[in-house]
Amino acid sequence: MKNKNQLRMTTETKDSQKNQNRISIHQPARRDSNRVWDFFCSVKLAVVIILLLVVACILGTVILQEKTMDEYTAKYGYALAAFFKITELNNVFYSYWFTFLLILLCANLICCTIKRWKNTFMQTGFILTHLSLILILIGGVVKFQFGVKGGVNVYEGKSVNYFLTQMINRQGKLDYVKKDLPFSIALDDFILEKNEPKFQLVSYIKSRNRQKNLEVKVGKRQRIPGSNYTVTIKDYIPDAELHQEPINTSDSADNPAIFVKLFGPDKVIAEGWLLAHDRNFYEDKKQNLRVEYIWVSSQEELEKAINSIETAHPKISVLISEQGLSQDYPMELNKTFKLEGTNYSLRMLQYVLNYGDRRPLEEQLTDNPAVQVEINGPEGSETRWVFEKFPDWDKMHPSKYKNLKLTCDGIASGHMAKNIVRLFQSSEGKQVMVSIKNNHITSTIPWELEKKYTIADSNHQIVVSKYFPSFNFRKEVIKKSDTVGVPAIFVEAEGPSGKVDDWLFSNNQYATWYTDNNLALVYESMGESIKHFTSRLRIIENGQTVAEKTIRVNDPLTYKGYVIYQSSYDPEAGNFSGLQIVKDPGISIVYSGFGSLCFGVIFIFYIKPFLRKKQK
Amino acid sequence: MSIINITVIVYVIASIAYIAREIWRSMYTKWVSVGLLILAFCLNLVMVTKRSIEAGHPPFSNLYESLIFYACCTAFVYLIFEFIYNFRVVGALASVLAMLILLYATLQDDTIRPIMPALKSNWMLVHVITYMIGYASFGISFVTSIIFLIVKAFAKKENKEVENEREILPRNFDKLSYKIVAFGFPFLTLGMVTGAVWAKKAWGDYWSWDPKETWSLITWFAYLVYLHTPLVLPKMNINKSKASVILACWLLFAFAIVNFTFVGLNYLPSAADSEHIYGSK
Ligand code: HEM
Repeated sequence: MKNKNQLRMTTETKDSQKNQNRISIHQPARRDSNRVWDFFCSVKLAVVIILLLVVACILGTVILQEKTMDEYTAKYGYALAAFFKITELNNVFYSYWFTFLLILLCANLICCTIKRWKNTFMQTGFILTHLSLILILIGGVVKFQFGVKGGVNVYEGKSVNYFLTQMINRQGKLDYVKKDLPFSIALDDFILEKNEPKFQLVSYIKSRNRQKNLEVKVGKRQRIPGSNYTVTIKDYIPDAELHQEPINTSDSADNPAIFVKLFGPDKVIAEGWLLAHDRNFYEDKKQNLRVEYIWVSSQEELEKAINSIETAHPKISVLISEQGLSQDYPMELNKTFKLEGTNYSLRMLQYVLNYGDRRPLEEQLTDNPAVQVEINGPEGSETRWVFEKFPDWDKMHPSKYKNLKLTCDGIASGHMAKNIVRLFQSSEGKQVMVSIKNNHITSTIPWELEKKYTIADSNHQIVVSKYFPSFNFRKEVIKKSDTVGVPAIFVEAEGPSGKVDDWLFSNNQYATWYTDNNLALVYESMGESIKHFTSRLRIIENGQTVAEKTIRVNDPLTYKGYVIYQSSYDPEAGNFSGLQIVKDPGISIVYSGFGSLCFGVIFIFYIKPFLRKKQK
Repeated sequence: MSIINITVIVYVIASIAYIAREIWRSMYTKWVSVGLLILAFCLNLVMVTKRSIEAGHPPFSNLYESLIFYACCTAFVYLIFEFIYNFRVVGALASVLAMLILLYATLQDDTIRPIMPALKSNWMLVHVITYMIGYASFGISFVTSIIFLIVKAFAKKENKEVENEREILPRNFDKLSYKIVAFGFPFLTLGMVTGAVWAKKAWGDYWSWDPKETWSLITWFAYLVYLHTPLVLPKMNINKSKASVILACWLLFAFAIVNFTFVGLNYLPSAADSEHIYGSK
């Protein structure tokens, strides 16, 4: 450090020679000390230091700071990581050289202030600002030397008398250090207050890949910017429920459906509609039974279908449309697949049979199979869910790699039931029931309405009691209450293929598409947000309560120089409170610096010019 | 048509009116141009007010809201200077600046979201307002520096026009830029200090070298250097005319830093760790 100092002074000597006439006034004997003094007083030095600090600050935000050695090596490679460590570029703001710059700045400030010191009123601002910066720097040093900062989690009804501070140790590893408190903190109560849920109507235009929030306001016609669609909300129910009654609308087989009843030893154990083109199966996990309803459009197709037992192999397909690239990958968890000809790679993290179902896989129904995929690309990694039944889901939701389209298929096939009953029906009126057990066809018989059939090797019977060639719902939306529960809106969308209207329910996570399949609307909750979280704290010293306060973000408790902040909470169960504990003996010095800085700049730039003008 | 589009259009018309005023100098063009800009400012203010009523909180909780407020401040600061000094052509660019900010706002997510607990603070209110006025002043000084540099490069040496106290000629815009920065700098300082006090109240530390904090310090340093260099340059054998060009260029550069601090920090690798950057949390 000493060397650097000398180096600087020699360069300054050269500079000062230019100003020979100024210096030559002084006597030769005093010249050297004067040079040092002038050097520390000069604005040139001030500007140079500030510019160096700017460079340091930029480096300190461009290079990640205070990470562990492993993280540096992973991100920058070994050589660069070692270089950062030697030059302290991994911890710029607390490095020796940064501190040196700050000391130099301080010296500069002190010297120039002394040199220019005149006891005139006009100088007030200049002196205050320059002194304030010195105060702030001193306060910062006090904080660094004598202050502590850490955190601790307290459970409701419990108390703590320590906290943990985090630091990077000599080996470049993250370390927690326990610090004792001279008192203990008891958490009597923790309250998490949530905001009323808010709902938004999101529109999405597929061809332009643009998402836009619409106003939820009944009666207002809204044009979706940059398109020919308009959307009008016609009705709103704060707490709605959908009642649907199945009806048959015609005799042509537009949407064939059958009503199936499953009998146990003495009573009906399950019944419901199976729709050939929609939800065409029923699964009973307990009995390990699956009933499927399959519609075929010709005799040949029927012949083929009733003899096949094929199950699909689970796979993921990737499509990068602008490169015309499309590729399939088998579903193998935790294996990294590189996308040929690109710098993307994929890894399948987990899969579910019914997204959102928290039960173990074996118990999940095959309602909404999905795979979670990690994509690694030029902009880092992204994780997204890919849904078998909703191939356009990812378009509706923000993602990093919009250009990468993922779809999946056959996810559930590894979890197929042992017993499968397939009810076939062809457009010519043929009805065949195929029973499959352990991947072998055990029987193939014709079926008729209202007839009971026994399922092989079980004491269950099956009846198809109704057949609707053109199944539909008569929808009725009813209002359950006036408070906000599951809100629904009745929306009319107008576009190139005319007007359509429908109810959108906020609990329906899937988009509703306009007839041309280009405009999608989703009415959804914006997620629960936190309004406030507060902790009722009690400080106990020598067995006695010495302080009490309900703290919240922005409103801490102070005791014996320790300030206790509300900083976080248990996001899962909400029963512990995260406290931040700070001790900073330098804070009053810093705050007086802040005060004098503010007053100083106001003086220099507002009061002084005003006074000057008046003098004239 | 939404109010934001109308405001953008009025800003454009105001800008055209200012150019017209530069060509036909009359009382009439003067009041039309000022009137239009005041109208645009009022519309902008209505937008800010409407938003804060709809959202139920001060309108600075996300980038969209801050940008709209920033545009409003830009018009406001310009109008203040318009009433002190008489400089026509700056108005044209100042309203273009406000318009560009609004256009940039339309690209942002304008969903009203509940604000997080840390933002519920009066310090935050003072912090944002002072910062935005500071930034707006620097925007105006950016405009005056551009004009100064253009005039310096292309205008003929001798201009017969004489300057009176209220009328500053473009060839003397270096002095004007200094005055505008001197107006804005205290606001920037106040913004930084109140930000630090707020951070202390909310997070327990007035300064933690967070990228947003560090870059606001860089911004502050940039203008601090600008304010101190007039004391240095004369001592360095640099002639006055060259010095004024250097300072004007420095102001262009400093305004780029302002914008980076305001909206560009997401591009930093350290942004993910930050508490304060829009959109990172
Ligand atoms: C808010 C911050 C600051 C303000 C408002 C400010 C303001 C001023 C003003 C108004 C002067 C001229 C005084 C006069 O003409 O009598 C001055 C001079 C000076 N300032 Fe600052 N200053 C600030 C920060 C700093 C910093 C951080 C340094 C760095 C070390 C610094 C170094 C100097 C020096 C060396 C001079 C003396 C110039 C000379 O002797 O010719 N100032 N400052």
